[in-house]
Amino acid sequence: MQVRQYLIRRLALLPLIMLGVSIIVFTLTRFTGSPVGIYATPDMTPDELAALEERYRLDEPIPVQYAYWLWGLLRGDLGWSGVSVAPVTDVIGLKLAATLELALFAALVAIVGGIALGTIAGVRRNKAPDHAARFFSILGASTPTFWFGLLLLIPFYLWLDWFPIGRSTPEIFDTIAHPTGLYTVDSVVSLNPTAMWDSIRHIILPAVVLGFGAMAIIVRMMRSSMVETMSEEYVDAARAKGLPEKLVIKRHARRNALVPTATVIGLSFGFLLQGAVAVELIFRWPGLGQWVTSAILSGDQATIMAYVLITSLIFMLINLTVDIAYAYLDRRVVLGS
Amino acid sequence: MSNVSASDVNNSEDWLLRVDDLSVHFHTPRGVVQAVDHVSFEVRPGETLALVGETGCGKSVTARSIMKLVPEPPGDYASGKVMLRNPATGAVIDMLAAPMDQVRATRGDRIAMIFQDPGKALNPSLTIGRQLAEVFGEHRAQMLLTNAGIDPAKAPLGSKSVASQRAGVIRRSFFNLTHRGQSRALQAAVDASVIDALSDTGIPNPRKVMSSYPHELSGGMKQRVMIAQALACDPDLLIADEPTTALDVTIQARILDLINDMQQRRGTAILYITHDLSLVRQFADRLAVMYAGRLVESGPALEVLRSPQHPYTQGLLAAIPRAGTPRGQLAAIAGSVPQLIDPPPQCHFSSRCSFSAQACTNHVPGLIPLPVAREVACLRFTDAVSLGVNQEQMPSHVDLIEVESAEAVSS
Repeated sequence: MQVRQYLIRRLALLPLIMLGVSIIVFTLTRFTGSPVGIYATPDMTPDELAALEERYRLDEPIPVQYAYWLWGLLRGDLGWSGVSVAPVTDVIGLKLAATLELALFAALVAIVGGIALGTIAGVRRNKAPDHAARFFSILGASTPTFWFGLLLLIPFYLWLDWFPIGRSTPEIFDTIAHPTGLYTVDSVVSLNPTAMWDSIRHIILPAVVLGFGAMAIIVRMMRSSMVETMSEEYVDAARAKGLPEKLVIKRHARRNALVPTATVIGLSFGFLLQGAVAVELIFRWPGLGQWVTSAILSGDQATIMAYVLITSLIFMLINLTVDIAYAYLDRRVVLGS
Repeated sequence: MSNVSASDVNNSEDWLLRVDDLSVHFHTPRGVVQAVDHVSFEVRPGETLALVGETGCGKSVTARSIMKLVPEPPGDYASGKVMLRNPATGAVIDMLAAPMDQVRATRGDRIAMIFQDPGKALNPSLTIGRQLAEVFGEHRAQMLLTNAGIDPAKAPLGSKSVASQRAGVIRRSFFNLTHRGQSRALQAAVDASVIDALSDTGIPNPRKVMSSYPHELSGGMKQRVMIAQALACDPDLLIADEPTTALDVTIQARILDLINDMQQRRGTAILYITHDLSLVRQFADRLAVMYAGRLVESGPALEVLRSPQHPYTQGLLAAIPRAGTPRGQLAAIAGSVPQLIDPPPQCHFSSRCSFSAQACTNHVPGLIPLPVAREVACLRFTDAVSLGVNQEQMPSHVDLIEVESAEAVSS
C-alpha cells in the first residue's frame, strides 16, 4: 500500500519534471542555431529560406517557438525528422524498441554476470576466482566499447562468420508480425524458430560488448558488499542454525549485498544507453544511438530533442524502479521520507 | 600435552561436551596467532559453565570452535577435539573431525548459540518468522509435514523443500499453485511452531512479531527472539556469547532470568562466555578462567570466587569495584596482555605476576588438580604444594595485587 502511494506520487510528479526538461532541451538546442537547414536544399534563394522559416514559425522569439513545439508535443507531433525523412513520432517507436531490446539483453549480461562473478569473488576473497573476477572487471571498465566491439567483430564476424552484423536478416523479419518491436519477442510470439535463431544470433555480440562494460562496475560493487556481508554476524548466526553454506550465502549474505548493488545496477542503465551509441554504430544496430548520431551530425533538432526527452523519461522510470527495489531489498528504507 | 591429566578429575561418563586439548591458530601476515592454546574442559548435561576472561583471551574463539564456526582460513584448528555426547544413546561426535553435513545437523539442533549483539545477529532483510522457520525447516521438516497432515513418506514433490524453507521462489509458488490446500496447511504448521517458540520466551503478541523485521523490535525483544531461535529445537547445549553486553542494564537481568528459566524447564546445559563476574556468581555452576589463550583455573564457581588460586584470577576478582572503595582508586592488573604471535614457551602471566620466578619464564604451566574438582595452572602453586606448604600459609595474593595495582593506577 505504501509502495502504491509512493508510486502514484512519483508518477504524478513526472509530467512536471518532463516539462522542465523540455524547456531546457528546447532552449539549448535552439541556441545552436536555426534548424531550417535540415528542410532547405542548396539551391534555395534567401527569399525561399525566409518563407520556409516563416512557415515553420522559426522567425518568432524562442519562447513562442517553444509554445508551438509544446503544443505539437501534446498533440503527439514531435516535428519532422530530417535524417529519417519521416515524422519523428513515426520513427521513434521503432528506434526505441531496437535500443531497448539491445539494452535489455546487455543488462541481462551485465546483471547476471555481474552478480554471479561478484558473489563468487566476494565469497572466495583473495583466491583464484576472486583474482579472475577482478581482472575481468578491470578489463571491462577500462576497455573502450567501440574498440572491444571491433575486437570481437574481427574473429567472430570476419573470420568465423558465426554472428552476423545488423539487427536481423530482413527477408526473415519482413514476413513476421511485429506486435512489440522487440525482434526476439516478436519471433517468439510468431512461433518462428528461424526468426528466433536469427534475432538471437544478431543480438549476442552487441549485447555482450555493451554489457561487458556495465558488468564491471556491478562486479566491483557486488564483490565489496559481499565481502562486507559475509563478515556480518547474521551470516555466522545463519551457519549456527545449521543452514547449508549455499543457503547461507544466497539467502543471508547475497540478499543483503544486493542492496547497495541495486543502485549501481540502476546507474549502469545510464551507461548502457550512453554506450549504445557506439555499439549501435559499430554493429549497424538501427536504434536511438545511431539515429541521434546522424541527427547531431546533420543538425536535425527535432530528432535530437525527441531523443533527449525519451532518454530522460527512461532515466526517471529507472530511478523510480531502483527506489522501489531498494525498499523491497532493505526493509529499513522508508519510501518517500 | 602436559595439561591433559587434570580433565580426568570427574571421570564418570556423565559429560555432554568435552573440549580436549583444543588449539586454534590464526595465520596472519605478521605470524601465527595462538588464540586458543591447548584448552580442555567439560560441560555436563544441564549444568552451567562460565568461561571467563578479558577481551582477546580466546574465550569467544573457543566458543565458536565448539560449533566449528571459526573461519578457515585464516583460522586453523591446530590440535584437539570437540566431542559432543548424545546423553540418550551415548554416541559421540567430534565436531572438528566429523563430515560437514553432520556438523550442520548438529548446529542449531543439539548445540545452539546466542550472540552478543542481537541487532547484528538477525538478518535485517528477513522477517523474524522466516528466520525462525529456517531452524524448524532445517531440523524439523518431518515434524512440520506431519503437523500439516502430510505423510512425510509420500509427501508431494516440493513439499519437503517448502517445509525446509529452502525452495526458490519459483518452485515454492509452483507448489503453492498445484497443492493449494497442503501448501496452506504447511504454512500453518510452520507458523504454529514459530509462534510456540516465540511465546515460550515471553514475547507478547508473537503473531505480530513473527511478521516484523528486526529493526522494528527493541534490543531486548531481539535478544528474546534470538533465544527463541536458539532454543527452537531444544538443544542439549546453549552457548551464550556475552548475551547481555549489548543490552541496556535494565534489560540485562530480565534476559539472564529468561535464559535461567528456560534452562530450569528444559534441562539445557549452558556455556556462558562472559567477563561479568556477577553473572557467574548468580548463574554458573562451574567457572573456567582463560588468560591469553590458555585455561588458567577452573572449578565450582563459588569455590573459585571465594578462594581464587591463580594470581590472574585473584587480580581479576580484585579488579571488581566494590562499594566503599575510595574515589579514584579502581584496582587494575599491572601490565598488559602479551601478544600471542609466536609467544615464548612460558607462563603468559609471568610478566604481570608478582610471584613469578625463573621457572615461570621457562615452562608452560599445566593444570594441577586440586581438591573439590578444581584445577589451577601455576608453577608457583606446584612449588608450594611440593614444599608441603599448606594453602593457608600461601601468601595472600589478593592483598599484594591490590596494593600493586592501586599504585599502578595512581602513578
